[in-house]
Amino acid sequence: MVNFVALAREHWVNILVPMGFVIGWYFDRQQDQRLTAFRNKSALFGRELKPGEEVTWK
Amino acid sequence: MLKILIPTLMLIPTTWLTSAKWLWPTTLAHSLLIALASLSWLKNLSETGWTSLNLYMATDPLSTPLLVLTCWLLPLMILASQNHTTTEPINRQRMYITLLTSLQIFLILAFGATEMIMFYVMFEATLIPTLFLITRWGNQAERLNAGTYFLFYTLAGSLPLLVALLLLQNSTGTLSLLTLQFSGPTILTSFADKLWWAGCLLAFLVKMPLYGVHLWLPKAHVEAPIAGSMVLAAVLLKLGGYGMMRILPMLEPLTKELSYPFIIFALWGVIMTGSICLRQTDLKSLIAYSSVGHMGLVVGGILIQTPWGLTGALILMIAHGLTSSALFCLANTNYERTHSRTMALARGLQMALPLMTTWWFIASLANLALPPLPNLMAELMIITSLFNWSWWTLALTGTGTLITAGYSLYMFLMTQRGPLPTHIIALEPSHSREHLLVALHLLPLILLILKPELIWGWTA
Repeated sequence: MVNFVALAREHWVNILVPMGFVIGWYFDRQQDQRLTAFRNKSALFGRELKPGEEVTWK
Repeated sequence: MLKILIPTLMLIPTTWLTSAKWLWPTTLAHSLLIALASLSWLKNLSETGWTSLNLYMATDPLSTPLLVLTCWLLPLMILASQNHTTTEPINRQRMYITLLTSLQIFLILAFGATEMIMFYVMFEATLIPTLFLITRWGNQAERLNAGTYFLFYTLAGSLPLLVALLLLQNSTGTLSLLTLQFSGPTILTSFADKLWWAGCLLAFLVKMPLYGVHLWLPKAHVEAPIAGSMVLAAVLLKLGGYGMMRILPMLEPLTKELSYPFIIFALWGVIMTGSICLRQTDLKSLIAYSSVGHMGLVVGGILIQTPWGLTGALILMIAHGLTSSALFCLANTNYERTHSRTMALARGLQMALPLMTTWWFIASLANLALPPLPNLMAELMIITSLFNWSWWTLALTGTGTLITAGYSLYMFLMTQRGPLPTHIIALEPSHSREHLLVALHLLPLILLILKPELIWGWTA
């Protein structure tokens, strides 16, 4: 039987860096969405996407 | 950007909260994870070149290779320092890793900054952990002197840069790298404008270092602990090259005439530092001087400002970062066994540690720019663009290359070949850790032969 409490007490710090990665990744994605919020929304420059094209600019 | 920066920040509490038994494995594993995650920056799909944008930071093809190199180096520094810090109190070990991590944070912020002032602040901030590393973990009393040289050379060089940047902000209204390239050409005619030009570049030339303002570098390298030497050679010097590449487009009309003496100085430095290496007795000092020589080529390539020159400079910065860091690690394996940096005292090591000789051989060949390695590609590109500018540069670059080959062979033969001296009676066998350490330096270098466009910068 593995002693989970002892394991958690010894190794809980290993969660910090992966947690930081997830938080950072989430913030990065949020920022990307904010920067591309108005992509292809303009009435003047908006256009139909060509076949196979995902977005108008990257 | 934050997906690397926040985990790096979290590495500091991890260092302090983990148990003493797991300190080194934990920090090594996590920093290696961060380094692997940072490879995702290399996939740049953006049409403008800028990617991972947020309010203060972004990467483009110029900064990405340097950022990845920064992240790659932290696990290697941890791996290299493990042995010589074992006798220290645990909190001092934790402090050591914290300093290395903070250095990585500052470097990410410097290379990722989209504002020149933010870059400047972080450029200066990297001095602090490096100074602590040199003055607290150095081996000899001379380390204090080395720290003073390091700090004051760099500070004295970079204070004019602060004034120059504030002047630029005053005239253009922005210091953002994203918009500054679109600001109209400035009319620079007066003597004060020329001083401003010099102010903009001086900090970076001292940091590179240019021959003539390089005296801080061999001292800092010789006195620093292994991790300090590694990060200094691999990344901190590259801050200078990176800064020059960023600021040069803004200095445009003046650079053509004013860069003349600096290019000559840099190329003269290649020969002079090479000659110093040829008669060097101190192993670490030899590697440090060879860094000054290689950085001279980088300065030449950057100041020429052709696409080939800039690409060559970036490739040489990355390749030299890995090579010189590997050489410092190898020098440290010698130092940990013989407790001396003097080459004459540890000769003929091939007899005792044959596999280490293989690593020495590959690293020396990389240092002298063996054909398929990125080092040669970089040198060729820089030499070609310099040759295109003036035929006479070939006399300097050609001699420099010849001398580089000479002292690299001298270093290899001096440390590895010949009979083992009689005073060496009990050498510790090489550790797997040391082999892993050098392999992790040289493998990326060899892999870059297959995909060099990753480090081509803007040209790719």
